[in-house]
Amino acid sequence: MDEIVVSILKMLVAGAICWINFVIIDTYFGLPEQPGVLGAKMIGEKVKDIGGNLHGGYFMGNIVCSPDASAGTLLASIMNYLMGVEGGLITALLVWIGNRLCADPGYAGTIGALTITAIISLLKPIIEPKYFVAGMVLAIFTIQGLDHKHASLLLGKIAKKMNRGE
Amino acid sequence: MDILEIVIGAVALLMTLRIFLERSRARKLLYLCCLSFCISALIALYVKSPMGGITAIVYFITSTLSSNAIAYTIEQTKHIE
Repeated sequence: MDEIVVSILKMLVAGAICWINFVIIDTYFGLPEQPGVLGAKMIGEKVKDIGGNLHGGYFMGNIVCSPDASAGTLLASIMNYLMGVEGGLITALLVWIGNRLCADPGYAGTIGALTITAIISLLKPIIEPKYFVAGMVLAIFTIQGLDHKHASLLLGKIAKKMNRGE
Repeated sequence: MDILEIVIGAVALLMTLRIFLERSRARKLLYLCCLSFCISALIALYVKSPMGGITAIVYFITSTLSSNAIAYTIEQTKHIE
């Protein structure tokens, strides 16, 4: 019983780290500023229709339409879990190829994969990489799966604070 | 079964349900994106080998590509309607 509580706590801490990692990197690279592809624009407008923030909507649309720092974070945690640090570097390369396939200039995915690799190798003695895999799923769940309106309002506020988009 | 797999599986089931209940086609894609994250994580946690990791990456990137194409098509057909 004690073990389960500890692993749930580890998962939540890892989730918070992943959330901060991918939201800050994606916002820094300008995901909320403009839709990178046409589909992201449409998703942003649909999120705005339900009372959300347009820039938060662009952020969510860009996540759907090309592998950004969120994908980089998940895939790098997976490869760190399975292969160690080399896996994180392989992921950075594959995510970069994915970015080019989606006609996205963004380096967010590559940078996100590299930073989470660094974080995981620092925290390895305390939190094992597999908790980061589950943590990232919870982090993306709070953005894409829980409540689109409030998630987009929060993302819009963060974008405003970092001077990205209005 | 590990607690991590149970949590990820529960999120995946919840997303599947919400995809069916959601009316807007555009917002279905947001839930679908979250579902791809779950499936990719589950592939890696069950197939504990480097090849499983490569499979998870390829699955995730190709699912993003198809989401990209679907979103683009929805935007294009809006003008026809």
